[in-house]
Amino acid sequence: MYDVIVVGQGLTGLLSAIVARKQNKKVALVAKGTGKMLQSTGLMDLVPGSNKDFSQWMELYGLSNREKITVKDAINEFKRLTEKIGYEYVGDVDKLANVVTSSGHLKSTALYPKTITPIPEKGRIVIVGFNEIVDFQPEFLKGNLQKERPNLQIKTMSVSLGKDSQRTLTQLDAARVLDEKDNREQILRQIKEKMKTEFTDGVDLFIFPAALGVQQWEKVHSQFCSELKAMVTEAPGLPPNATAIRLHERLRKEAIKLGVRFYTDTEVNGFSKKGTINEITIKMNNRNAKLESQHLLICTGGILGGGLEQTAKGLKETTLQLSVNKEGAYVDLPDHVYPVGASLGTNVIHYGITGGIYSVVSSYLTNLQIERSDMRGLQRA
Amino acid sequence: MHELSFHETTFEKCLKCNACTVNCPISNVSFDFGGPKHLGPELKRMMDHQEVIDDARIELCTLCGTCDASCPENVHVSTLTSYAKAIHAEENGTKFRDLILSNAELVGKLASTFAPITNMTMKVKPVRKAMQKVLGIHADRQFPTYEFSNFKRRYNKKHATTEKKVAYFTGCYATYNAPDVADSFIKVMEYNGIDVAIPEQKCCGVPMFANGQMKQGLKNAQFNTNSLLEYTRQGYDIVMTCTSCTSAFKKEYASYLKTEEAEELAQHIYDADEYLRILHEEGVLNTNFATINAKVGYYAPCHMKGQGIGNPAMDILELIPGFEIQDMAASCCGQCGTFGFKEEKYPYSLELGKGLATVVEELDADYTVTECGMCKNQLDQLTNKQVKHPMQILKTAYEKVPVTS
Repeated sequence: MYDVIVVGQGLTGLLSAIVARKQNKKVALVAKGTGKMLQSTGLMDLVPGSNKDFSQWMELYGLSNREKITVKDAINEFKRLTEKIGYEYVGDVDKLANVVTSSGHLKSTALYPKTITPIPEKGRIVIVGFNEIVDFQPEFLKGNLQKERPNLQIKTMSVSLGKDSQRTLTQLDAARVLDEKDNREQILRQIKEKMKTEFTDGVDLFIFPAALGVQQWEKVHSQFCSELKAMVTEAPGLPPNATAIRLHERLRKEAIKLGVRFYTDTEVNGFSKKGTINEITIKMNNRNAKLESQHLLICTGGILGGGLEQTAKGLKETTLQLSVNKEGAYVDLPDHVYPVGASLGTNVIHYGITGGIYSVVSSYLTNLQIERSDMRGLQRA
Repeated sequence: MHELSFHETTFEKCLKCNACTVNCPISNVSFDFGGPKHLGPELKRMMDHQEVIDDARIELCTLCGTCDASCPENVHVSTLTSYAKAIHAEENGTKFRDLILSNAELVGKLASTFAPITNMTMKVKPVRKAMQKVLGIHADRQFPTYEFSNFKRRYNKKHATTEKKVAYFTGCYATYNAPDVADSFIKVMEYNGIDVAIPEQKCCGVPMFANGQMKQGLKNAQFNTNSLLEYTRQGYDIVMTCTSCTSAFKKEYASYLKTEEAEELAQHIYDADEYLRILHEEGVLNTNFATINAKVGYYAPCHMKGQGIGNPAMDILELIPGFEIQDMAASCCGQCGTFGFKEEKYPYSLELGKGLATVVEELDADYTVTECGMCKNQLDQLTNKQVKHPMQILKTAYEKVPVTS
């Protein structure tokens, strides 16, 4: 018997499990795969793909002004957590930052890891690609960025990681190469060599793929900044981005260390109520097993996460097999079952893409709801 | 048509999202491996109804199963890679060394018969150098010790007489290397009033699958399925202390043999800690444990994590008063069964083990707990902490309870 069962291990699921565990609750996490966070940029947007500000965001997600303080608490709590697990996020929901993606487009984001630096209006920029990483093309990035920021002086270069493989190398692979000191030095030598002839008047900012180390990101970032004598940023693009993987790996380890029980490679295939208790059936490798909890958190990420499926008859909820409306919101939610993040079916953008900030806030708010419910239970007892 | 063409359709759901490769322990330490996405679903897509492709890089797959647990679409990636291994072995031949390593049972029988000599010889440097030269087993790799008094010589009860009956699939490791784990399990069951029978059994087949010996592995799987079904049909539960054996019976047998019998048997397979947890949930577990004041680190084997059973070892050990256990949240140990013994795989094995060695050192617990004998082998080599099986700790906790008259 668990106090809390979380279904799903994306950003929403992992955060919800960690927050609940920190309240000393007995927590299980049930998951089919790794969660969609691996496909993300690791940036915490307000409204992805738009420049909407904080008050517009509050309105869009139906949050009242009264809740503003709680929302800020949630964000500060997230910042504290990322600092604790060694991957600190910075930024401000009241002052969105313009960061560049690997396509060269600028996007507004609220929170971002320290490896990211917002793009200035003017200055000298060098975009550095790696020969082996085909997902990141400096010239392509330059073309688009120049359109958005005409006052920037942009140059590009490509250097070699010095590694080959028969498999297509990704940003994450490059990041693991950069975790090694010798590789970093080899790469920095190449960049400095090129700087001698082509970029003699100094540089304000270097743009790299989202590949500046995984475990050693702090060392990579500071070494690059100090040796290149400029600011350094990552431009996330096609997954897997090291920016997202760092967060995912660390959140997962934190949850395991705190004692969250992971039922991985399982699927929920049954749900019933036994009084106030939630009972779910999970499909393990070999048979079904029942798990019980006081509270059940659905963090299955809407359509994108697989929690909802688009069928000819409309949206189908895949976890508990309950009916949902056109937006994917539960029509008749049983007691002590809490959809979190994209599972709430607010569907303000598309396909359950809610933006990182909403996941952060929703996980936090759900936990408060659970706390209140437990308090009521105690008062009654 | 190739003999090893096999029916497996889950790969059709692969979206190439990379979740498997991102999480693959080997892909994360080496570019030499093609990665599970490439050598699993992509290779299968290329080969289906067409020519068989032999890709030598598949040798680096350890069949840890992390890909399966990472996949959001339920693609059976490790089934695909194990067949890619079989194809590679068939097309390319199998090294004499891999045949020996894959036959853990035969090695166990022989080595335990000459146990004192085996153990001593394996520690002699020139012998190990010669083994590297002749057999391709790395000279620096430490071997588990073998026991003359193997578990088969110690206990051979064929039938249980109590109401709840357990048939124990011992596995090669607990039979030949660590009979103390098997003894402890029998004792723990005894403290719970459960009689344990030992059915006729052969090696579960995991080392065979890992070395591309699919046919021999399937033979063993079939033998074990027939033998154990005789027990389950009489109301026995099948319990195992090795998480790789357990995983084979729960997952691989069903997806490789594809028979109703294998499916039926899988329903009755339990990891030892999982079984005790069920007893506890039913309120029948003997929880009269003595206090053990210890701070220990838990290392979760990949084949345990892949079973989707949560963390039963910690759930049970946490019931012992005074016992503080912390999951170290470490990734794959790198021994990976026979993989870490091989001369050319040894560097990868050590690279993988680095992370584990670091967390063990950081936690600085009294000792380490894990269910897997092969993970223990790597831990023994890379850390200075003693390694215990959960059953050994539970046995002590029961035995230390003062007898009141």
